[in-house]
Amino acid sequence: MSAVRLPRSTVLRHALFFLPLGVLLLAVTYVLDAFTNYNIAGIAIFAIAAAGLTVLTGINGQLSLGHGALMAVGAYTTSLLLKSQPQFPFLLTVLVSIVSTGVAGGIIGVAAARLRGPYLAGATLALAVGLPQLAIHFGSVLGGNQGLNVAPPVAPTALGGDFPEERWLAWIAIVAAVITLFLLANLVRGGTGRTLRAVHDNETAARIAGIDVARVQVLAFVISAACAGLAGSLFAYWVGITAPTGFGLQLSLQLLSAIVIGGLGSLWGAVWGSIILVYLPVWTSGLTSNLNLSSDITNNLPLAVYGAVLVFAMLVLPRGIQGTVTSLFGGARDWFLKRRLDQRTAEVEL
Amino acid sequence: MRTFLILTVDGVTNGFVYAIVALALVMIWRATRIINYAQGAMGMFTTYVALFAISHGVTYWLAFVIALGGGFLLGAAMERVLVRPVESRPPLNAVILTLGLLIFLEALAPMLFGGQVRSFPAPFSRIDLSIGTTQLYFSPYDIFVIGAVILTMVALLLFFQRTTIGLRMRAAAFGPEIARLLGVRVGRMLTLGWGLAALLGAMAGALIAPAIFLYPNNMDEILVFGFTGAVVGGLDSPVGAVVGAVLVGLGLSYVGGYAGSDLETIGGLVILIAVLMVRPQGLFAARKERVA
Amino acid sequence: MLEVTDLTVAYGGVVALDGVSLAVAEGTITTVLGANGAGKTTLVRTISGLIRPRRGSVRVADIDLTGHAPEAIARLGVAHVPEGHGIISEISVDENLRLGGLWRRDRADQRLAIEEAYELFPPLLGRRHLHAASLSGGERQMLSIGRALASRPRVLLLDEPSLGLHATVLAQIMDRLRTLTRERRLAVLLIEQNARSALSVADDAVVLSLGRVVARDRAAQLAGDEALRHAYLGF
Repeated sequence: MSAVRLPRSTVLRHALFFLPLGVLLLAVTYVLDAFTNYNIAGIAIFAIAAAGLTVLTGINGQLSLGHGALMAVGAYTTSLLLKSQPQFPFLLTVLVSIVSTGVAGGIIGVAAARLRGPYLAGATLALAVGLPQLAIHFGSVLGGNQGLNVAPPVAPTALGGDFPEERWLAWIAIVAAVITLFLLANLVRGGTGRTLRAVHDNETAARIAGIDVARVQVLAFVISAACAGLAGSLFAYWVGITAPTGFGLQLSLQLLSAIVIGGLGSLWGAVWGSIILVYLPVWTSGLTSNLNLSSDITNNLPLAVYGAVLVFAMLVLPRGIQGTVTSLFGGARDWFLKRRLDQRTAEVEL
Repeated sequence: MRTFLILTVDGVTNGFVYAIVALALVMIWRATRIINYAQGAMGMFTTYVALFAISHGVTYWLAFVIALGGGFLLGAAMERVLVRPVESRPPLNAVILTLGLLIFLEALAPMLFGGQVRSFPAPFSRIDLSIGTTQLYFSPYDIFVIGAVILTMVALLLFFQRTTIGLRMRAAAFGPEIARLLGVRVGRMLTLGWGLAALLGAMAGALIAPAIFLYPNNMDEILVFGFTGAVVGGLDSPVGAVVGAVLVGLGLSYVGGYAGSDLETIGGLVILIAVLMVRPQGLFAARKERVA
Repeated sequence: MLEVTDLTVAYGGVVALDGVSLAVAEGTITTVLGANGAGKTTLVRTISGLIRPRRGSVRVADIDLTGHAPEAIARLGVAHVPEGHGIISEISVDENLRLGGLWRRDRADQRLAIEEAYELFPPLLGRRHLHAASLSGGERQMLSIGRALASRPRVLLLDEPSLGLHATVLAQIMDRLRTLTRERRLAVLLIEQNARSALSVADDAVVLSLGRVVARDRAAQLAGDEALRHAYLGF
């Protein structure tokens, strides 16, 4: 019996992978408790934002320290829409948020198109620190420091009256994440991905090859902003309240650290990083409550660990989790191949 | 008119503090092509240490010196232990590294010292002076801040231009390979440079704390403003950094005064983007490169 | 004075130097010749410590320098004038010269050495306090060599000093070099692509090709060997 052949088309291959994965994840939520489902929703939401940031920073090479601010745009769009029209359809709300954040990303992309390295980083840093303040300045509309409340989405009656809130939230987030990763995976493998990478690898060469570099840079920003917008919108539902403190510099840095620790340039890395992002506070708070430590320590330990892990990762594991795993696998595979080659050579020589 | 004068004095005083941060950033950038995003947080941390000392009976001045010394050691240790290994790797690694340190310090401070907002003492009165019935728009503390910064800049200038070790440091920064061939211990000079830059950051932290209070994130904005000042002046120019930072200080003061204080940071962002789009190389740059 | 034994340098899969040995006596000039990529610059950079050899040793006056840091090697009296001027443009001419011997204990002699460098290269005196960036190509080369000499070295490594220099200026510099070598008992290793001028000033010559020594003789003999000149030196 001949081996199963994978279809040639990348899109089809990806579909064959992501579809069962999505279904599996949805099924798994039935056996998990509410808290875990809530965290899975969080992981999925961060994975969407992180994957978008991976495309921008990992693949296209533009360092953004301000994606927390873009998530804020998505979250505030959703919160404002719901504040003025509480019955606004869920899907539409999310879609509008994606568009608004995409537009914001386009504006930033245009402004940043000529910036490189530390200049881009500094500008996005200023964005991360400054944008949340707009919410305070326009406090009457944007809710100021207290923020805007967001009611969690209600599961459709078709699924049964007692379908838990957390599971529904997890389902929405999982579906959104699977679709996003599917689309991004196709994009990364395809022509657009190659163009993004080409500009990152050698801008001059890309220009000579006829690539409109500025347009590519803006496109990368728009794509990553759309992802941040989707994540931000779902984030508003997940947290239930949209306030400036939730979107400060820390969020931007957390997203960046997630993709670096996971493995820069890899969509899978974005997923690993998001898992760590969500579960690290859970683990450390478990630790601190066991040891009966003060609230100052409890609140800040996850971040202290993050910072330390980032520093450590740069010193010891510059390629992050995915990169290290790949090189380990690559190393093992090379070893096996070499052995086979040596054996064959030995056979031939005899 | 009165408002304008008040805002101007505020802008200049703050601008001088941003100038020290900008100087620190430019020093390290010129020597190692790295932006130390943790510079502000390091200054925050040393200020906490100073406050700790003060609350245990140490005088302000001794605590100030302790903060500066601590900053120096922190910077030197950072270069030796953390930065040295990544100097030869792609620039993104160094960015993530300094950001990681930023996150770490901003979390460590509340863990050690508590997260609530604290007030930091000023060695001189912060009440505006008046001669008879005329009110001047600056306080003894403002004079102290400006004086301290000017003194520091003069000291740095003399240090770099007139001493042998200053010459070695300049050589190590501008031509490390050639410097090594001339017997200069470049590694040591870089460590020294980072130590000095961190000392400047510590000074900035201590000087601005009375005005903005002490809390783990208090230096985030100061870092952004200092960076903006350095960019406006041109990342390779120390003089530019100072002028740029004072200009930024003035600009922000006017924005905050006339448009609303919570728009200050956005104002800073607008200034930064505007400069980067219109005159990317900064006001004082000799070279026209905008690439890292 | 300078002894290089079995020096081997490799990066990645490329072998840049393969078992190179040579010796330079006090008061003599040895020139290392060969085509581009033959390994001449690698050789000099390994001697001065910028590159670590995989195998072999470098000794100066019987002190083993192999594997030491460049700054330590410089302090032992090895002065390397790198290819392409090797001055620091952002500091002044005087500062460049002073940099040459900052580590020396004997301050008075150091000041004397700097004054001697100005005597040797008078054009530098007029530009003493200007940024080195304002110097012409020939003046930069003078500064580079002057700076190396100001540290009172025992071994002088010159990498392509003729680059970008006028023939007359080059001749002057080479002439001075020969005098200084004799007077100060220097051991000079001169890397050159311009084989003709190098052979006219050197005492001994070594020819490298693809990282190996392929010929070694007195300079005059080598200059007269037509077959060798055609094969490796292009004239």
